[in-house]
Amino acid sequence: MALRAAWRARAAACSLRAAWAPAVPCPPLPLGLRAGAARTLRTGPALLSVRKFTDKHEWITTENGIGTVGISNFAQEALGDVVYCSLPEVGTKLNKQDEFGALESVKAASELYSPLSGEVTEINEALAENPGLVNKSCYEDGKLLLEIQRIIAAVNVCRI
Amino acid sequence: MLIPFSTKNCFRLLCNLKVPAAGFKNIVKSGLILQSISNDVYQNLAVEDWIHDHMNLEGKPVLFLWRNSPSVVIGRHQNPWQECNLNLMREEGIKLARRRSGGGTVYHDMGNINLTFFTTKKKYDRMENLKLVVRALNSVQPQLDVQPTKRFDLLLDGQFKISGTASKIGRTTAYHHCTLLCGTDRTFLSSLLKSPYQGIRSNATASIPALVKNLLEKDPTLTCEVLMNAIAAEYAAYHQIDNHISLINPTDETLFPGINSKAKELKTWEWIYGKTPKFSINTSFNVLYEQSHLEIKVFIDIKNGRIEICNIEAPDHWLPMEICDKLNSSFIGSKFCPIETSMLINILHRTCPEDDEVHSKWNILCEKIKGIM
Repeated sequence: MALRAAWRARAAACSLRAAWAPAVPCPPLPLGLRAGAARTLRTGPALLSVRKFTDKHEWITTENGIGTVGISNFAQEALGDVVYCSLPEVGTKLNKQDEFGALESVKAASELYSPLSGEVTEINEALAENPGLVNKSCYEDGKLLLEIQRIIAAVNVCRI
Repeated sequence: MLIPFSTKNCFRLLCNLKVPAAGFKNIVKSGLILQSISNDVYQNLAVEDWIHDHMNLEGKPVLFLWRNSPSVVIGRHQNPWQECNLNLMREEGIKLARRRSGGGTVYHDMGNINLTFFTTKKKYDRMENLKLVVRALNSVQPQLDVQPTKRFDLLLDGQFKISGTASKIGRTTAYHHCTLLCGTDRTFLSSLLKSPYQGIRSNATASIPALVKNLLEKDPTLTCEVLMNAIAAEYAAYHQIDNHISLINPTDETLFPGINSKAKELKTWEWIYGKTPKFSINTSFNVLYEQSHLEIKVFIDIKNGRIEICNIEAPDHWLPMEICDKLNSSFIGSKFCPIETSMLINILHRTCPEDDEVHSKWNILCEKIKGIM
């Protein structure tokens, strides 16, 4: 069950906040270099894209202020073939631990719980036609792409 | 043995939520066998929701026995238009419910037993539950040939489905429920679970039709009462608890605080129809108008049970496109529902000063559209 949710979380959970605030200010982009190339030279963004796992086998990564949520390989194997992904509407506001959808596999509906609070701004539409992507590629193509914008006041974190 | 008694104390002990009472450490094997006194499908589904949300099932599994008056129950991610004959259900007063677990569509009546096995997520094991049911059946009738399949059905004599399964897995708890056909009206079941609607394109999970049979047809001693008692006895033996069925009233707010609002939610149009995954209908029908046959093409997109796109195409000589479009636009945003469609057409008549002939043609189209809703 790869559900990758993209989250834009300005005030992250403590563990994420530590990952977000780099020890040194972000170096300016050298002229002439593409943003993608420059990014790989930084330590800040690398820390941000570390995958963190919850005890319910969901994972979250953040990159450039966008968080992505998915389900681990262990979880997708335990589920079996996913036949349906029920995802929230764009615009849905979620609190941490809110049920935001479900996956169906072999007649079992498994609930999905939000690891962060925020507003959904994007979902992975491919899963509607092809829910099996969740099994085939739980960290890449089968992710549930949600962009979640935090609703609380922004905290002064380094913006990339 | 059925003993009606107040389960309030029992429940309070078992309904320890996230805050464990100081000193409440139950090292004795425990569990509960409950049976609903209600035959209302929504109330009984609400009991499942309630137990799933509120009961601490650690070391205390629960078996829930229930039967419903005639109802069709669809799975969480199913499309009722694809699964059953909604027109027939409305004529016969058969309820439609959407459950929260996955799986396919089933027909319930008083000849069908529903069993729900509640456990912690760790102890969730559908095959174990089904084997328990088989043992219970064999304890009543040792010659009975019943086997679970890989898809968690129960087959009689290797070919007839007598039970279907579905389940729901939450954060810490899970439930597995299944049906058991004792003496259901099979003819009615077949006609209700056959959808007459054409041209539906949908990602919803589809049911797999199966040949069914009633246990009573195999052995007239296998009544619902006999089987419920046998399953309860087997469950009690397996979990080493008292063989004691507690009758519960699903509308009792003192036992189940908040349960009536759960039942209410299950009855809403938004849950039953509105939760249908996005689908489209691409079909056509014939209209006989003053001895000539006309082909009307219909293309409708439905999301959350409401019409998003509506394209009813009639021959231009019969109904000009601009007039047809007025009808199409009026449908946008409305529920895909015959009652709402009737209301819509009344409003359209009042607000659009077209002539009587146009109005009568609109009526003809609407009756046809209602027929596919």
